[in-house]
This record gives sequence, structure tokens and C-alpha cells, in this order.
Amino acid sequence: MSGKKEKQLGEVLIDVKGLCKDFGDNQVLRGITTQIRKGEVVAIIGPSGCGKSTFLRSLNLLEVPTGGQIFFEGVDITNKTVDVDKMRQKIGMVFQQFNLFPHLTVKKNIMLAPVKLKLMTKEQASRRADELLERVGLPDKAHAYPAMLSGGQKQRIAIARAMAMNPDVMLFDEPTSALDPEMVGEVLEIMKELAETGMTMVVVTHEMGFAREVATRAIFIDEGVIKEENAPEIFFSEQKDQRLKDFLSKVL
Amino acid sequence: MNFSERFSLNFIEKSRYKYLLDGITNTLLITIVAAAIGILLGFIIAVIRATHDRTGKLKLLDLICRLYLTVIRGTPTTVQLLIVYFVIFSSVSRPMLSAFIAFGLNSAAYVAEIVRSGIMSIDTGQMEAGRSLGLGYWQTMGYVIIPQAFKNVLPALTNEFIVLLKETSICIAISLRDLTYGTQLISSQTYDYMFPLLAGAAIYLVIVILLTFLFGKLERRLRQNER
Ligand SMILES: Nc1ncnc2c1ncn2[C@@H]1O[C@H](COP(=O)(O)OP(=O)(O)OP(=O)(O)O)[C@@H](O)[C@H]1O
Ligand SMILES: [Mg+2]
Repeated sequence: MSGKKEKQLGEVLIDVKGLCKDFGDNQVLRGITTQIRKGEVVAIIGPSGCGKSTFLRSLNLLEVPTGGQIFFEGVDITNKTVDVDKMRQKIGMVFQQFNLFPHLTVKKNIMLAPVKLKLMTKEQASRRADELLERVGLPDKAHAYPAMLSGGQKQRIAIARAMAMNPDVMLFDEPTSALDPEMVGEVLEIMKELAETGMTMVVVTHEMGFAREVATRAIFIDEGVIKEENAPEIFFSEQKDQRLKDFLSKVL
Repeated sequence: MNFSERFSLNFIEKSRYKYLLDGITNTLLITIVAAAIGILLGFIIAVIRATHDRTGKLKLLDLICRLYLTVIRGTPTTVQLLIVYFVIFSSVSRPMLSAFIAFGLNSAAYVAEIVRSGIMSIDTGQMEAGRSLGLGYWQTMGYVIIPQAFKNVLPALTNEFIVLLKETSICIAISLRDLTYGTQLISSQTYDYMFPLLAGAAIYLVIVILLTFLFGKLERRLRQNER
């Protein structure tokens, strides 16, 4: 039994109200409403092209919603007057393709944002980077360049880079989908440890094992809406929605 | 006249080599100043154009930049030089300043398109990664995109500056005493064309080889990070 069920859920961190997103004629999100509370680990699943990435990327405005509202820590971030950069400092993001900065060493990748945004001095950021490298198990790679790392190592560094900003929530968009199978485990392990520290996480994933074991809630997105959401133990055992049944029977 | 007599006549007597030395100085000075203007202005134009291409913003600035590129790239460099010298500075004779401006503005247009292609070749995920960390658009441009783009386009930039160096030889059109004009000044006194011209050609060649070597070294230095 993991410790997740004992976890006390905190206040609402992200409040999504009727979120819509069109790309031209393509209505990808058609009114998504959900709340993400402090300490939750939310797994987003659904068929390819259903808008999982679009939903996740809307949460930090990498995609600009065409309708609805998103409140982050009580502030409506879809409001044009909101300081987007300030808001993003509190929302870490990890990409499928890692997106490390290839011209910087691993350590400088981690230090760049906190230093340039003047949130830490170079010394503070350096110490924080060392600490994070230790945590993701790659202290010896501090001075390596991203090209010298394996996919799994790259993703662990990308997680460390996002954590350097001390975000209140971390978004993951299929963090293990670009990895060779033997490297998936090491990244999921780091994510699991992160979840155990109480980090709020929203994870788009095809790793049903992770969703079942680590997530506190699973959300099924299909046809632009949330078709079903539940605690994993219910979500994976009894589904009301027929398309979720079909989907799970295919991926499990 | 044998070889050494001709050599002496063209370069040693009356210190005629000084025409070449002064010419080299002016040629290099024009190249360096024009390259500096070209890099500065070219990067600004490139960033404006790439920003417009990627985000749809800066419409008016982009239009101005495009107009500029069309005019500069659509007219001969010699004509541009003559316009700056005879039209813009019509009342005063400022050959060096005219050359700085004409070649600088000309080079900027070519640098701009090279750098823009470099920026556009960087994966959009890099901008997204920077922005998702809370860095602003211009911060991400400056710390993440431009350094990578610069590295990628360095060979093309080297090429552009070699072209620039050689193109300064058209300064002869405004009687500016650059290296090429220096060879002609010697010829006009010695009635020998071959020696001064071959010497001039050799000097251009040596400078180009040196430039290529230096930029190659810089490029290798920047690239060694990657493996
Ligand atoms: N920038 C864009 N411009 C136009 N259409 C887009 C854009 N981004 C996504 N789409 C479309 O939106 C739909 C949802 O895409 P999205 O990437 O969110 O799906 P997904 O659920 O993450 O799929 P996958 O599992 O394959 O990653 C797709 O039809 C896609 O073609
Ligand atoms: Mg996706």
C-alpha cells in the first residue's frame, strides 16, 4: 500500500472552468471543468489526439484558451492583464522531448532561469543545482552537455531544471514516451519520489502502472471533454463510460 | 629588367610599398567596421523578422525590415556606395565614412537573412522550455535561441564576411585608397600592372585564408561542447 491515500488534500491550486480551445475549425477542448488541489497527482489519459497535451499546455498558457477560465492560486490567468512570466515561475513543465538547452552544461541548464530571473544568486543557484542533481541521481553529470546524456538522464535533468524554480505544481507531458523502454523506470522512479514529497503534479501519460500506483486521481479526456475521473482504484476497476472501457481494454 | 629590379621599382623605390600598407589598413578598417554594423543591425532585423514569423507580432517593423532587405539586395553594392558618397554626403567628401555606412548597411541585409534562418532552425521546444521556466520572450531569445542560432550560422557568416572583404575593392569607384586602389597608384607611377596587382591579389588571399582559419577555430571551439 502506498502512502498516497493518507495524504491530506490541500486547497484548490488550479481551478479550470469550461476550458475551450479551437485550432481553426478543430474544436479540441469543448468545456473542461476540473479542480486540482495541492498535493494531488493527477494522471491524464485518453486516445491520441484527444487534446491531452493541449489541456496541459493551457494550464501554463503555452496554448491560449479560446474559451473558459483557468484560476491558478485564485487568479484568472486567462485575463490579459496577468503577468504570464511570473505565473509560469510557479508552474514547472517537463516535455516529452526534454527540451534541454544543448549549448549549456547540465548545471547551467538548471541554474539559468533562477539566476537570470534574479530569484537566486549564482552561489545559491549552484548549491540548489547540486542538491537537485543529487536528488535525480546524476551529480557526476554537472559539467556534461545534454548531447552526452542518455534519454533517461536527459529527462531526469529536465525534471531537476523545472524543480530549480521551486514551483507549486509540475506539469508532465508524456515524460517517458520518447524513451527507450529500459529508461522509463528511472524517470518514473524520480517522479514517484517527487510525488511522495507532496509535489502537486499533473501528468499526461500512457503509463497505466504509474497512473494506478502513484496518481491520486485519473482523468479520461475524450471528444474534448472529461468523460470520467476518479481515484485510480475505482477508475481502473469499474468504468461507466463505454469509450473508457474500450480504451482501457486496448492499453491494459 | 629582371625580377628583383621590377620588385624594387614597384615596392621599394620611393617607399611605394606604403601604398599597399595604407591600402591594407583601409581595407581592413572598412571590413571590420562594416561587419560590426552588419552584425548589430543584421541581428536586430533577424530577431524582428523571426519574431514576426513565429508569433505574428511586430507587423509594422517586419514590413520595414522586408522593404529594407528588398532594396539592399535588389541593387548593386557599387551603386549603393556611390549614392552614399555622392548623394547623401554630396557637400563633403567623406570616402571612409561613406564606405563604412554603405558596406555596413549592405552587409546587415545579408547577415539578417543568415541569422534569421539560424533562428528559424531552432526547435520551437527551446522557446517553450525557456518560457515555461518563467523567462520572458526576449530573455529566452537572448540566452537560449540566439547562442544556438549563432553557432549554427557561423560558417555562413564567415562566408559573408569574406565576400564583404573582397567587395570593398569597389571603393575604387569613390577614389578611396584601399588595397586595390593602392595597386593602381603604384601602376600609375611605374607603368607596371602585373607586379602591383599580383601583390594585391596575394594579400587579399592571405587575409581570406587567415579569416577562414580564425572563424574555423571559433566554430570548433563552440562545437566541442556538443559531443
Ligand atoms: N498548434 C496546433 N495547431 C493546430 N492544431 C493543433 C495544434 N496543436 C494540436 N493541434 C490539434 O489538436 C488536437 C489535439 O492535439 P493534442 O496534441 O493535444 O493531442 P494529445 O491528446 O496530446 O495526443 P497525443 O497522445 O498524440 O500526444 C489534434 O487534432 C492536433 O492535430
Ligand atoms: Mg500529446
